[in-house]
Amino acid sequence: MSLRQKLQAVILPLTILSWLVLLYCTLLTASPELATQLGRPAPWLTLVSQALFAAGVFLYQRNRPDPLRGTDFTGLLRRLLLGPGILASVCVGLHLLERFIQAEAPTNDRVFFAVIYTINLALFIVFLASTNYTWRSLVLFRAPTHLRREWLWFELLLGGTLLFRLLNWAPTGLLAYPVMGGLALFGIYLSGNQKWVAYLNRRQKWEVVLLQAGLLLCMGVFVVYFLRIEHDPKLVAPAPQHAFLMLTVFFAAFYSLVGLLVTFFNLPTAGVFEQKREEILSLQRLTQLIQKGQTEKEIYSTLFDSAVQTVGADAAWLTLDTPTDGYSGKYFNIEQEQSAAIHSLLTDYNLGHIEYLNNDLDNSSGFRSLKLPFSSMIVMPLRSTKRRYGSLYMLKDQRHGFDRENLGILQTFTSQTVLSIENLQLLQASIENERVQEELKIASAVQDSLIPKTLPTDNWFEISSFALAAKEVGGDFYDFLHLPGRRLAILVGDVSGKGVTAAFHVAQMKGIFHALMQENPLARNDREKFPVPSRFMSQANTALIHCLEKSSFITASLYIIDYEHGGFVFARAGHCHTLYYHSIKEEVSYFRTAGLGLGIIRNDSYEKHIKNQFYDYNPGDVMVVYTDGIVEARGENKEEYGEERLQRVLERTYYLEAEEIKQHILSDLAEFSYGQPVHDDQTLLVIKFKAVQPDPHS
Amino acid sequence: MKITQQATDTSLTLNLDGELDASSSVILDTELSKSEVLDYQKILIDCQRLNYISSAGLGVFISHLQRLQDANVKLIFYNMQEKVHNVFEILGLDSLMTIVPTQAEAVAI
Repeated sequence: MSLRQKLQAVILPLTILSWLVLLYCTLLTASPELATQLGRPAPWLTLVSQALFAAGVFLYQRNRPDPLRGTDFTGLLRRLLLGPGILASVCVGLHLLERFIQAEAPTNDRVFFAVIYTINLALFIVFLASTNYTWRSLVLFRAPTHLRREWLWFELLLGGTLLFRLLNWAPTGLLAYPVMGGLALFGIYLSGNQKWVAYLNRRQKWEVVLLQAGLLLCMGVFVVYFLRIEHDPKLVAPAPQHAFLMLTVFFAAFYSLVGLLVTFFNLPTAGVFEQKREEILSLQRLTQLIQKGQTEKEIYSTLFDSAVQTVGADAAWLTLDTPTDGYSGKYFNIEQEQSAAIHSLLTDYNLGHIEYLNNDLDNSSGFRSLKLPFSSMIVMPLRSTKRRYGSLYMLKDQRHGFDRENLGILQTFTSQTVLSIENLQLLQASIENERVQEELKIASAVQDSLIPKTLPTDNWFEISSFALAAKEVGGDFYDFLHLPGRRLAILVGDVSGKGVTAAFHVAQMKGIFHALMQENPLARNDREKFPVPSRFMSQANTALIHCLEKSSFITASLYIIDYEHGGFVFARAGHCHTLYYHSIKEEVSYFRTAGLGLGIIRNDSYEKHIKNQFYDYNPGDVMVVYTDGIVEARGENKEEYGEERLQRVLERTYYLEAEEIKQHILSDLAEFSYGQPVHDDQTLLVIKFKAVQPDPHS
Repeated sequence: MKITQQATDTSLTLNLDGELDASSSVILDTELSKSEVLDYQKILIDCQRLNYISSAGLGVFISHLQRLQDANVKLIFYNMQEKVHNVFEILGLDSLMTIVPTQAEAVAI
């Protein structure tokens, strides 16, 4: 426990003790009988105990925690009035009791009189101390440092006056007036600090006026009591510490009076303060709503309610140009027909989309003809630099109901609202965007897993492949499947459209491929064990009918290479023509077969539109399979790469290995479409039948 | 893509001008989706200025094909450029849709 804390702990007992000593002294002075028994007390003891009591009470109050909680000024004053108010009542009660006893049984007994006087003195000092330190809270409310320092000086000087009587300095006459006057002026100066009044609303101000009046009344009760007593012949007690008490009473009363007057004269302006307060609070509410991530409807609703409340409109409505989530506006005290009539009149005057303030509607013949119960109107559009959201209409019964400030407030409100709405939209857009990105990532990963990572290797042929997706997810696909009996099935295709849906159909196509290419256990001969390509296509078409959107279709080519018999069979379902190098003829040409894309005809007649093409290959033949992303790649002048140019490349490179042929095609394509964006997926397979074919029967 | 149209009592002609890609095919789809389209005997598509058709553009025609057939409305393409015709041919649509060289032939059907 520090010294300061120790001192604080002894203040209260010491104060009570000093009061008891004071009481003792007073009693002895009042009763000569007692005095003869116990001896008269020294006058200095009375004075010292009195001074100690006053100092103790003040110090005790000084060390109590600040009674002001937040900005609850009325609560502070109410507590102050209730406490000392009771003290004042007790004081009056005691005085009346004494008078009553005097009237009933008149005695010349001074003892009872003295006791009551001493009690009342204590009550008065307690009252003054608590009032003083309440005033301290108010004076120092949000005060700068220099004011705190000045207050401390005030306390020290007041405390100094306690010593006047004690040391018998009692600055009489000439010296007394400047000292007392100076301190009184200091008190007046401090009374000017009534900053707290500004934080009250209208109701609180009335309350404060009444509370201050009550406090002044309490003080009055004490002062009147002491003034009466002063001249009572029975008073034998020494006069109290006049200088100190007078100054304190003066300060307490003056501060109270100034506070009362300031509050009273602030009453007429309370409305303006409150309005500003309400504006700030409404703005805060609006701002908070955004942070909570509320809906647009709630933001508009808050705007409307805040605007109506703040401006004090008698009627109002809000219309949105484009309703959001089924919310198109709000009406308050006005019929839709009336608002529609006003709106159409404003549109006629070409005022529908601008800020507009009319404080005398009856002055205009147009408005007069509408027979409205309103005389003032504000129109405030909700808009940002990019677009307009709607308009807010405020109406008042009386003329000149709105002022420039109202217009300013509504401007602030609407711009805040538009900002909130746009923030909300941005937030939603970014969430949506993120979701799409995430979906694409997943789809891309799925599609990547659908493309075979390893190519079939064999002694009979070489395969080289290339696949490039234009955006995150494309519609191209290819797959291989080894069939029994030295056969290989190759599927290449393209799903119309892009993105997640395309990837979904690719997966479907792959599923169909693996499902249909299973050995049929019921087959009567070898040929029927696996579907021929045309059969595969028509079965795939049937399978796709129910899951492909109407405007989507799939192109595909299925090749089944049988290298036991040195031949292959394929069907082309709307897919790009197959480019082929015939080594025996030393010629490059396209297999131009007929065949309709999948998902175009959605009935059994599809079979008629697909054909099989059989071909016996020779060693050294080259087959180039691709998607339209290759032949439809754009060049500098928007021209397409085309089948012919592709054919030309193969004519120059057919003798190379499959991998090299592929590289040549790709570099020619890159040269052609240099600097152009890739619009469509590109897939390329080069299959070369080896020049030296192994013996099929080995 | 620009789409203009002329109508007679029995036929509606749509003139396609530009590239029919994913975005412009939406406009064409809107035109073909109108219910009055089914009131004509023939829908003529003038492809003289159609420079390019994407799979989305083809998808529009494919999606309306069945609906028009069911309503007994003929869909006829004419004045088609070689490369556009090639796209129709590769996909096999030439066997499903009526594609004629000139306007006169289209009207005559």
